[in-house]
Amino acid sequence: MEIQSPSYHRSLADKLNLSSEELERYDRQLRLLGFGVESQLKLKRSRVLVVGVGGLGSVATLYLASAGVGLLRMVDYGDVELSNLNRQILYTMIDLGRPKVESAAKHLQKLNPEIKIEAIRERLTEENVEELLSGVDLVVDCLDNFRTRFILNDACVEHGKPLIHGAIYGAEGRLMTIIPGKGPCLRCLIPREPAEHDKIPVLGPLPGIVGALEALEAIKVITGLGEPAIGKLIVIDGMDLSFYTIEIRRNPDCPVCRKIKIEEG
Amino acid sequence: MEEDSLKVIIRTFATLREIFGGTGVLYLELPEGSTIEDLLRELRKQYGSKLDVGRLVGENPNVKILVNGREITYLDGLGTRLRDGDSVAFIPPVAGG
Repeated sequence: MEIQSPSYHRSLADKLNLSSEELERYDRQLRLLGFGVESQLKLKRSRVLVVGVGGLGSVATLYLASAGVGLLRMVDYGDVELSNLNRQILYTMIDLGRPKVESAAKHLQKLNPEIKIEAIRERLTEENVEELLSGVDLVVDCLDNFRTRFILNDACVEHGKPLIHGAIYGAEGRLMTIIPGKGPCLRCLIPREPAEHDKIPVLGPLPGIVGALEALEAIKVITGLGEPAIGKLIVIDGMDLSFYTIEIRRNPDCPVCRKIKIEEG
Repeated sequence: MEEDSLKVIIRTFATLREIFGGTGVLYLELPEGSTIEDLLRELRKQYGSKLDVGRLVGENPNVKILVNGREITYLDGLGTRLRDGDSVAFIPPVAGG
């Protein structure tokens, strides 16, 4: 692949309305082989929904905002609590008791004033999921329970929206990229509704690792770079620092995605 | 080790790790020719009430059972034969965020 000169980027950026500030802000990723101004513009035009701004969402939104996604829509109902601060690195003591999405939006907008941020203080439900999904190109699952994840998965499959799934427990992480019609969905991976657990153990860096990987997958899907983890469940064991990649196939009997036309390959 | 037996290493994850304790790693000796079903039977014998069988046994499709990194659904299911030195993993889904 040809490495493009800065002057090439400059002339293309002029044509495509990237400001000098943007060129400087994104300079290090523009230098990435195969990235270039075209990928930056894809990010700039993209509209991303992040559901949940807790441990996973703190880190996923930081990297998506700093990478320059055009619109970052965040939805979360919770307020910042002291017990969040071992892992939810978007927040500080000053945010205690405040709605997470409001604190998150303020912080992220300071980080990158070039992007548009929407903060929605709601719980995602079957009633509002369509509205929350409307107009977005990609969804990042930073939730903390199975029930809401299934509502989100089902709606993403129905509307053909790519969904980056991440989850954690203790010192473990999970990641899978779901592209409806191209690979398995969350219900193929987890066919039965499991029991929910409240106040699970979490070692702070784990949601950080998985949230960063979710942002990476989102950037890859938006720009078309690399190979997203479609049909691959990544299992991270932080205790012995092992990363497992497990092949997951579509469940032909999946009640959610069996209706979608398959484009394997 | 006797000639007609095999030894496997078992790794458990998340909530299952809490049942077995420690690092969640177990070593099990089984007769030669044993399958995943035999292994599950042996685990039940050894851990009995401690083990919520419904969560572990192949009846629960949420718990991925891997042999050397491959899910048994794509091998021979519960009839998947084990060999000496095989690594078996039990991976339940997690929901934290």
